[in-house]
Parts: sequence; C-alpha cells; structure tokens
Amino acid sequence: MDSVVKKIVREVKRGNQDAFAELMELYKDKVYHIAYRMLGNSHEAQDVAQEAFLRAYMNIESYDENRKFSTWIFRIATNLAIDRIRKKKPDFHLEDKVGGTENLDYYSQFASEEELPEEQIVKLELQQWIQDEIMHLPPKYRSAIILKYLEDMSLKEISEILNLPVATVKTRIHRGREALRKRLK
Amino acid sequence: MACSREKQTLINQYMDEEMTLQETKQFEEHVNSCAECKQHVTELKKTIAIVQSASHFEAPASLTANVMNKLPKQPKTKKWQMWMRKNPMIITAATFFLIFLVSLSAAFGGEDEIVVRGEGHFIINESERIVIVPEGSSISGDLLIRNGDVEVNGEVEGDVTVINGEHLQASTAQISGDIEEINEAFEWIWYELKNFFTKVIPLGNNDGSEE
Ligand SMILES: [Zn+2]
Repeated sequence: MDSVVKKIVREVKRGNQDAFAELMELYKDKVYHIAYRMLGNSHEAQDVAQEAFLRAYMNIESYDENRKFSTWIFRIATNLAIDRIRKKKPDFHLEDKVGGTENLDYYSQFASEEELPEEQIVKLELQQWIQDEIMHLPPKYRSAIILKYLEDMSLKEISEILNLPVATVKTRIHRGREALRKRLK
Repeated sequence: MACSREKQTLINQYMDEEMTLQETKQFEEHVNSCAECKQHVTELKKTIAIVQSASHFEAPASLTANVMNKLPKQPKTKKWQMWMRKNPMIITAATFFLIFLVSLSAAFGGEDEIVVRGEGHFIINESERIVIVPEGSSISGDLLIRNGDVEVNGEVEGDVTVINGEHLQASTAQISGDIEEINEAFEWIWYELKNFFTKVIPLGNNDGSEE
C-alpha cells in the first residue's frame, strides 16, 4: 500500500494531474469524514475536504515522502476544519446549541427520494444525536476524540496529525471523554 | 464515601489499557467494591461505545471532480508528455511538426530512457525499444535516437544518428544524409562536442560562399 502511494505521489510531483485524482480516490472518504465530524455539516465538510486536497496539490513539493501521506493530508484537513470553527464561532461555548436546521443535515448524508422506514429514521436520529454530542465538545477535544475513537488511530498518529506531544493528546482524549460521559449519563 | 480524586488517573490508565495485568487485577477488585468507581467506569465504557457506533460514510461523488477542475491548467507539452508516459504501448501514428524531444521512459528512471529528436512522423514502440519511421512518412531533417533502435521504412531527409542502438533499414527507406551508430559513452560525448562546434563555430566553409 505504502509503496503504491509513494509511486503515485512521485507521479504527482512530476506534474501528473491524473495521478492526483488517484490519490484523492484513496483518501477522500476519510478526509471528508473527519471534516464532517469536526464541522457537523456536510456542505462545510465538502468545502474543507476540497480545500485540503487543493492545498495538498499546491504544496506537494513540501510533502516529505518518508512520512505517511495520510498523516499529511489529515493534518491539512483538521487544521482547515479548526480554522473554520474559529472563524465561525470566536467564542465557542459548550452550551452552544446546534441549530434546528442543522439537525436535518445528517439525513442529507443518505439522500434518498423514497420515504424512509420507521426503523431507518430511528437509526438516523440516533446517529444525529451522536454527532450533536460530538459537536458539543470544544474543537481541541473534538479532534482528539474523532481521531481516536472514530478513526481508530494510534496516539502517535494523532500526535503527528495535530502536531502535539503524545502526552497532550492523551490529556485531550481524557478530557473529551469525560465531557462526553457527563453529558451522556 | 467519595472515592479519592487520584482514582481518575487510575481510571484513565485502565481505559487506555496502560495497566499491567497485576495493576488491572487490583483496580478491578477496587471497582467491584466501590460503587462510585464502578459507575464511572461503566459510564465511560458506554460513552466510548456510543461514539464508536457513529457510522462512517463516503465523500460526495463530485468531490474529486470538483478538485480536479480547480487545479491549475497544465501547459500542453506537459500534458502530452504525461499522455506519452501513460500510454507507451499505443503511441503510434502521432505526427509532430515541431522539433521535438521526448524522454519516454523517464518514469523508469536512469540512463535507459529513449530519446528521440526529429521533425516529422515516427512511431515509438517502447516495449521493443524501437523507433519506426513508417513507409510513406518523412522526417524533414536529422533524426537522432538514443538508447533505442531505429527502423526506417520511409524517408529521412537528413542524417540518422543512433546512440546505444542499432539502425535497421528497409528496402523502401530513403535516407539522404549519413547513418551513424554510436555505441560508447566516449563517442557520444565526442559526437555532442562535434555538433556543438559545428553549430557554434563552423569548422569548414568549402563552398566559399562567405562574402
Ligand atoms: Zn473507587
């Protein structure tokens, strides 16, 4: 896998734009998913994911091939997502409500013309509730929790993506986890 | 009644699976006898299970195309070279009217790349490492091939030079100039030097046309 990615990255560095499309196919779902979990909004998630890939393309020369490409692209995406959260809500508070219209957003992930069966709606509501709870976390805990528990990444990977010492990542996971526990109990 | 605050550290170690077997056993014994810790651990496990039950979904189908459309447009020559690299087997019948230099197998690196310099219509068969001037086609000046063979079935109005390769000539071939095969690095350097000097400093001027 890694050697395949390396080959593709080299092609991109040589100026092969089609190779970049291949690279995107490999990572777009994860990048989009992280952005969605950070922002809780599919429109913004798509924006951030696209911007992340554009920046990756523009700065491909600065990508160090000895490191994992996934770490690099996830780092660009999380940074962009955090920037966007800061711009959107300069004073972020835990008690900030997620707006009513945004509650519908989760359904757009499963855009369907047909009417959904009851069982499906319950599932979607449960999923939306989980996302709302994630959104209640301050962004610095949110990113750590998403990478750890949704993306199942190691502490080392998370520390590289967030550019933080492992000890700090641990603290953020602990605090994020505690904040969620208090709300969910 | 309240269990000590230090238990939070132990709870975190336990949840992070950073305890030795011995420590885990001791901690679990405590949890079983301490209602507060028991509740805390149960709630944490439940919280993590809930978060982990969040489903994964795919990016919108349009994402890749949207990004690709925003990439800076590439110059034509670059696109063309990319196309050459991606389709080395099917490069046939391409016609070139500009003086033209191709590094075909740059993707495979090293000194072995096939280089073709010529003006006209030729075919590059990369797997066979051969450059073909098909019957009925003509190269309007010199033709130079490096690291590959050449087969001339058509016409070359100038010289044919093959470096590290062989020249094969069909009966239909018409070559107006000289045919030269160079197979050693030294000769190649010499060839380049000679070329340089004849271009920059004309060595002889036999027809005496200078005024
Ligand atoms: Zn206790």
